[in-house]
Amino acid sequence: MIKKSSVMSCRPTHSSIEWPTIKPEVLSKGLSTVSVLECCPISTVSFESSMACTMNNSISDLLSPDWLTSEHSTGTSIMAVEFNGGVVIGADSRTSTGAYVANRVTDKLTKITNHIYCCRSGSAADTQAIADIVNYHLEFHEVQLGEAPLVKTAASVFQELCYNYRDQLTAGIICAGWDRRHGGQVFNIPLGGMCVRQSFAIGGSGSTYVFGFVDSNFKKGMTKDECVQFVLKTLALAMSRDGSSGGVVRLGIITEDGIERRTVLGNELPRFYED
Amino acid sequence: MSILSYNGGCVLAMKGKGCVAIASDRRFGVQTSTLAMDFQRIFEMGPHLYIGLPGLATDTLTVHERLRFRLNLYELRESRKIKPQTFSAMVSNLLYERRFGPYFVEPVIAGLDPVTWEPFISAMDLIGCPNMPEDFVVAGTCAEQLFGMCEALWEPNLEPDDLFETISQALMNAFDRDAISGWGGVVHIIEKDKVTTRMLKTRMD
Repeated sequence: MIKKSSVMSCRPTHSSIEWPTIKPEVLSKGLSTVSVLECCPISTVSFESSMACTMNNSISDLLSPDWLTSEHSTGTSIMAVEFNGGVVIGADSRTSTGAYVANRVTDKLTKITNHIYCCRSGSAADTQAIADIVNYHLEFHEVQLGEAPLVKTAASVFQELCYNYRDQLTAGIICAGWDRRHGGQVFNIPLGGMCVRQSFAIGGSGSTYVFGFVDSNFKKGMTKDECVQFVLKTLALAMSRDGSSGGVVRLGIITEDGIERRTVLGNELPRFYED
Repeated sequence: MSILSYNGGCVLAMKGKGCVAIASDRRFGVQTSTLAMDFQRIFEMGPHLYIGLPGLATDTLTVHERLRFRLNLYELRESRKIKPQTFSAMVSNLLYERRFGPYFVEPVIAGLDPVTWEPFISAMDLIGCPNMPEDFVVAGTCAEQLFGMCEALWEPNLEPDDLFETISQALMNAFDRDAISGWGGVVHIIEKDKVTTRMLKTRMD
């Protein structure tokens, strides 16, 4: 019996991925797709916060507050690192509507299967819908296959959605997990729908501030605990500089035994230079 | 996006019993990028007169300097310290002079009358419309959040120590819900015989 997802009202009966056309008016409220491209001309990996991309669409938008006309955005800092035996994934916990912090304890680490999780950045609505659909497809695939699906299968499903609907979506996703055949893997699927495997990946608006830090501090062959510290330091630095990132750090350590989740509160995070 | 939320920041002021308090955050940023965590938004214009200037940072600095110029001339001509009500009118005049090309600041004034020691607070919009309530005034990118916190926490006739607690809690909980304010806080408690300035240790995100 195919499980119904609450996102869609109709369900495909065959296994290829289909999605009813999203009405452009729904998506354009507060965030036009043209403005996204204007704001992100150079890099497809970094993500501009919704504040920079929100365009006023009418006179009434000028008069009403930002948080009434802006889309919910997980303008964010997300990260995933491979180690021998699994992956460590991490994210901040801020969802902003314009400048208003709509949720300060968001969980951006979303389960796809028991051993595959994704870190979401970009539009909250878009990424939640995509994760729901990928979850459905992977569950179905697992039943057909008779064993746990591969991480690259999940990444491939993400890619198909993010690439084919690239004009309608604002989603930067890191898909990471463990499978029996290839061990821990991290796949980065940024805005346009490219999918690339990396030893570690960073994403979201906060990632732009920490590219130098991660490039200089990453070492191959780190242990699980070293990876955890690396993720914590990186996210703490990103949250400190980026307005769209903040709150607590949510961590997930995925190994053969499943996921171990941790939450590191603001006062326990590493602190850096402050007067 | 609004020019008043380009740099971010917030200020609030509250009346207490024989004292006033004024507080602000310390962030200076460009949209969502934070550049400094020690930006001064509240300026001392007299021993018992403080003005907070949230809004566009360049106008914060310019309005402060222009105001200081006018205030110095006033005090030289009148040979006395200015009254807070008169100072508020001076700020309003400075802003309205630029009615059709305004300074993008929303001033908040807090002080004690130099003769009667009566507490005084006032706030105005970017073109100088003054507002002088009996309880508290707020301004900045998290003004709505500050309104909610102040409305819930403020009560009349708070002693200086209680006023400090109240204003700090109102400020911190409000800017924790704003992506472009925060990164530290500063509170000035202005009493008849002393002014206490305290830095708040806050979340730096």
